[in-house]
Amino acid sequence: MLLGYRLIWPATLLHLCLAVLGSQSELFTEKLTINSLQDGKVASKFTFTALLKGASPRDPKTLDGEDESQHYTLFPLALGQILREYGVTELHLTLNAGNWNYDRWGYPGESGVGTGAELWAWMGDGASKTVDERWKGLRNALAGLFCASLGSLDELRTTSPAESFVPEGSLPRWDAAHQIRHASLPSEHVCTENLTPFLKLLPCKSLSGIASLLNPHRLFDADWHGMGVHVLWHEGEGVEVRLTFQAVSDPLRSLLGKKQDWSFQSLYDRTIHRACPVAQSSEVVVSLPTNAVYAIQPEPHAVERNLAVYDVNTIDKPLNIRLIWPDPFTYPLEYHSDSTPFSVKRMLRGSSQAWGQLSVVITNHRSTEVKTLYLETMPWLVQFYLHTIQTRVNGVIKDGVFSNLTYIPSVPHSRPTTFQVLLTLPPKSTVEITMEVTKAFLRYTEHPPDAQRGWDLPPAVFTPVEVMENGSSSPPLMGRIYSSTLLVDLATPDFSMPYNVIIFTCSVVAFSFGSIFNLLTRKFAVLRFPPDNAQ
Amino acid sequence: MANALGMYRTVKRLGIPDSNIILMLADDASCNSRNKFPGSVYANPGRHLDLYGENIEVDYRGYEVTVENFIRVLTGRMDPSVPRSKRLLSDERSNIFVYMTGHGGNEFLKFQDNEEISAFDIADAFEQMYQKKRYNEIFFMIDTCQANTMFSKLYSPNILATGSSGLGENSYSHANDNDIGVAVIDAFTHYVLEFMEEINKTSTVSMQELFNSIDVTKINSHPGVRSDLFSRPLDKTRITDFFGGVAQVEILPPAEPLVASEEEPEPEHRATFHPPARLVKSESSIASWLKEQKTLRSWASVSLLAAGVGWVLSKK
Repeated sequence: MLLGYRLIWPATLLHLCLAVLGSQSELFTEKLTINSLQDGKVASKFTFTALLKGASPRDPKTLDGEDESQHYTLFPLALGQILREYGVTELHLTLNAGNWNYDRWGYPGESGVGTGAELWAWMGDGASKTVDERWKGLRNALAGLFCASLGSLDELRTTSPAESFVPEGSLPRWDAAHQIRHASLPSEHVCTENLTPFLKLLPCKSLSGIASLLNPHRLFDADWHGMGVHVLWHEGEGVEVRLTFQAVSDPLRSLLGKKQDWSFQSLYDRTIHRACPVAQSSEVVVSLPTNAVYAIQPEPHAVERNLAVYDVNTIDKPLNIRLIWPDPFTYPLEYHSDSTPFSVKRMLRGSSQAWGQLSVVITNHRSTEVKTLYLETMPWLVQFYLHTIQTRVNGVIKDGVFSNLTYIPSVPHSRPTTFQVLLTLPPKSTVEITMEVTKAFLRYTEHPPDAQRGWDLPPAVFTPVEVMENGSSSPPLMGRIYSSTLLVDLATPDFSMPYNVIIFTCSVVAFSFGSIFNLLTRKFAVLRFPPDNAQ
Repeated sequence: MANALGMYRTVKRLGIPDSNIILMLADDASCNSRNKFPGSVYANPGRHLDLYGENIEVDYRGYEVTVENFIRVLTGRMDPSVPRSKRLLSDERSNIFVYMTGHGGNEFLKFQDNEEISAFDIADAFEQMYQKKRYNEIFFMIDTCQANTMFSKLYSPNILATGSSGLGENSYSHANDNDIGVAVIDAFTHYVLEFMEEINKTSTVSMQELFNSIDVTKINSHPGVRSDLFSRPLDKTRITDFFGGVAQVEILPPAEPLVASEEEPEPEHRATFHPPARLVKSESSIASWLKEQKTLRSWASVSLLAAGVGWVLSKK
């Protein structure tokens, strides 16, 4: 009898799995892409996509009413509930650590590589609750779900840069327009506590399939690492949730032989033992070197245009893909960056704690003119003086680089600056933009506990665009390019000063009161001693 | 940090789910780029056991760890949009275990090296929890210098408290790891955790045995126990009452229409949703009352000053 039950259970589970695969209302696919980079590092990108077929985002007008029931088998319920509760059409959350080096690593597989946390969402208007109220609820809910301090993405950091952050999916045609909210928190770090809830959203967790390679101890050891959650709606298809994890590991750091060799075992300290049974497709794509001798094991299922493709569902387990170079690695003398049209350097100059100069240097590598949107979403801690903008092309002051300037000035203690401009970068040239800024003087209570460390400022965002004849800019050619973050040193008070002041004032008051009190209450009298006693 | 993570690991091992644990960590030591062992925090010099592990949920981290947030968690006065994972969803059948560690002194504990929580703050927060029926019993443990002063001001019923060192005493760290270069854990917590390693969910070991196990000569300070507010005898109080999620079935008389299987009160549990409207209201009324009190106080101080001046003048 007992044995019978033991047999029934796996059979039922298998049946359920087959039912899931058969129903086709939800689709789950996973993919791992591994690239060897110019400087010997290895970029890996995990993508897990769950598609809810035929679903559509919730119309904000129905937010007050009862929602339809949510029965998902593969789609993450915890995320689905948040999306429907706040009527979110499109959502992007990224948590990254480190600077993405575009010049050496090329353009990343996922465009959101800004340091720290970045959250942006497109939400329909027209609900009884405003977009801002729902935005607040959304970031608090996501903070709880992903164990991150996203609650700090408050109105001090929230902007609405609609041109730079165009929706990646489609927006439903509702009566009320859609609005964007964007905020970034560059000081946020990413760690195991963020990966744990991330893995819990996957149907196979980290037990099988490609996700079993997500080992926090190795991923957070990588030179650059970041995770992302993307929710979008494709008209006619459904709601898609894409969970991504990117890491740039350095095989040259650990191996003594100075070889670029890597394997699953060396990169993640794990191998794939089981396939995820509910994944519709589960593939590993390795980009093969073009001009070097190498060996790859095991034999890939297909090789298309120097991409080796493995199907995890059918291949022999355990799977441990290895790429081996016979020759030691030599660093290139010069890095070529074909995938990014320009490189960006941003600095905050000046030693003063009251003012400084923001300087952005953009080098166009192409032999054609490049147009790009340049966006700064600066907290009010740093305020711009727009009249001091100067643009230099190859060191010579030149106008005509700027057009279509949008500027929403900051409001102290409440609103950040939104500064967006369309730049025209002449071919093969270096454009330098400088602008005077003031640094804010904060209230005593506005300082963080480690005030002397300074404040992290969010990265600037560049979006290459192609401008049409009629002046409107078309959807961007490629993804956004993030500059590095900045650290601003604001004037910090001597935090022990209030105590000193209290102690000092108390002493002065006590001393003056005491002596005056003494003077006033004492009766002074002249005592005359008889002269004979004096002797 | 290893102190708190050690406790986290222990209560989780004894069956309390992440949803019932609120972990506040001010440091990002595990994934800081200066950590030689990324994603790991160790509590012993040989680095045998990684406390950070692969499955951890930190509810408050970084700048969110403030005295205000800590008191809000205890008392449940929160903005309605704060997610459930950041709330202490307890009721009058919940046992709560509160563990605090850090730098402290006589009747205070520092947060972030920036602000302090005083013994009075904790005592008042616990009293408010008692009045709001947010706990059945509390076990309060603190590992800091002069820790026993922190529970000296408690006055609410059914609280058991222990600390690592008496007034005027330091709490010492336990072990140095030469590869990491710092002391990894504090002595009191180390010996408590060592004792807890022997415990499993079915254990019947009592609190008294835990307190007896701590050796003064090993930790170099005098741990204190305060049980005058606690109604049960310590040798009848099981450790798993506070550290373990032990499920017990209560059979109700058949007159009841439903047979409910209730979990025995356990640390930090149970969804009691306070209507958000009421919460907001109570906060704003407190704020306005405080404002009134402030004006009252300022006028009182002015009149006191005037009276003092008048008295001095009349004396003359």
